[in-house]
Amino acid sequence: MSFEILNNPPLSTIQDNGRFGLMHLGITNSGAMDMMSYTFANHLLNNKLNTNCIEIYHGNLTIKVNNNTTIALTGAQCNISINSIAIQSWRTHKVQQGDIIKIGSIQKGLIVYLCVKNGFSTPFTLNSYTTTVKEQIGGVEGRKLKKGDILNFPSSNFLPIQKIQTKYIPKYPDTIELRVMLSYQHHNFSNQEKEKFFLHEYTLSNEINRMGYKLYGEKITSDIDGIISEGITFGSIQIPKDGQPIILLKEHQTIGGYPKIGVVLDVDCYKLAQARPNTKIRFKEISFEEATKISKRFLKSFSSLKV
Amino acid sequence: MKINQISPNTLLIILGDTISKETHHKVQIVNSFLNSKDDSGIIEIIPSYTTVLVIYDILIYDFLTLQNYINSSIDFQNSIQFDDEIITVDVYYGLEVGFDLERIANINNVAIQDIIEIHSNKIYDIYSIGFLPGFGFLGDVDKKIATPRLNTPRKKVPQGSVAIADKQTAIYPSDSPGGWNIIGQTTKKLFFKNNPLDSITPLSVGKKIKFNPISKEKFLDQGGIL
Repeated sequence: MSFEILNNPPLSTIQDNGRFGLMHLGITNSGAMDMMSYTFANHLLNNKLNTNCIEIYHGNLTIKVNNNTTIALTGAQCNISINSIAIQSWRTHKVQQGDIIKIGSIQKGLIVYLCVKNGFSTPFTLNSYTTTVKEQIGGVEGRKLKKGDILNFPSSNFLPIQKIQTKYIPKYPDTIELRVMLSYQHHNFSNQEKEKFFLHEYTLSNEINRMGYKLYGEKITSDIDGIISEGITFGSIQIPKDGQPIILLKEHQTIGGYPKIGVVLDVDCYKLAQARPNTKIRFKEISFEEATKISKRFLKSFSSLKV
Repeated sequence: MKINQISPNTLLIILGDTISKETHHKVQIVNSFLNSKDDSGIIEIIPSYTTVLVIYDILIYDFLTLQNYINSSIDFQNSIQFDDEIITVDVYYGLEVGFDLERIANINNVAIQDIIEIHSNKIYDIYSIGFLPGFGFLGDVDKKIATPRLNTPRKKVPQGSVAIADKQTAIYPSDSPGGWNIIGQTTKKLFFKNNPLDSITPLSVGKKIKFNPISKEKFLDQGGIL
């Protein structure tokens, strides 16, 4: 049972929820950039929560179906077709031998997720199926997918069609709000600098990749140039010397020496992952208590899909 | 010891303000205690020079519970013996692979032969691992040869390059962009992604490294390429 990749997509990789327990060796978590869309895709197929999928960053992936199966598509608004007939995302589709699935250019958002029932049979490497291209670990030979790749999957019967209710489907607005917990070195930013940070609107630059997204706008200055390198967590906001924030996402470095003003709430990082350059960004402070409630609610909402 | 909340699932244990043997020892005590728990609620334990970052499962732990638990369990008086294995790394300190030997010599006004002697005469502590899989941050480099990073990082530093940045030294485990001063090269491999989880890298925080200068002939014998 397999799919064949027919083109060279910009950045399509095999991802699951990440590679954990190895950060102390310099190996990053990686995993699906937009865990919300990724998890909904597995939910549609009643897959286990960490089942791997294809993460189609910047769209543009063409697949030939070699065997019948059921797929789920979620994520960015995009032209998607099966045998040149336009289809909807955020639902499952039955695909048959010989079908051509074409994920075209993206209109809103940035990343599309494509799952099959029970995932792809790529190697399980160091605790995970996730591909981290910079480490050359996981997925297909540690690299992005390319023309000619064959992705095998276990056989399954056609599943009944499932759809996500419209109210859950993101709109990918031109302005987003990111909720921030002040932590790490926030004491090394004066109250005036923190006020600036929360008051001004920032813009997403085009320096974005799976490691992190750089913003530009009002310059933020810290009392210190750098710190003794320390461990970094998902969503950390680094303020380098140029004063322009970098939000660290799934492939973030494991340790680093830039001052950090705080951390973006995880569920908001998934929103940010889907933001296109020039998206306007505002920060809003949130307490640890409130943030913890929201993060837990996200994890529990998919608790029917146990690992 | 200070324990700060960082995010819903992350806390940072701060064990000192400066890089020192004493702080490094405390980091080792906390690191080995947390690792000995084999606790499925703890996801990542990342030791560094003065801190240990802990990422945990918020459906199992909350910050206060974990903070109290760590505070009440760690005893810095307890004189624990750590694995202080010394890993020997053969290095060819030749100009063909030590691209920045001359730069270090000029900046510090020291002869190249002295750089090699000073660098290889010391046993270094592994303070942290990060930046790349299997990249150990080693210290402390003698101040006579401590040299700031290059103004413009190289696009590609070859695997096995031995390098200095300020008072730190390291071995690049794979080809990578990098801004450290390159002083030599080793054929020793430090990252094995196809190995079982417990032997991906011979490095771990707390172990030590000794650099052993070797001749060009021996370097070539070991598989070195010039």
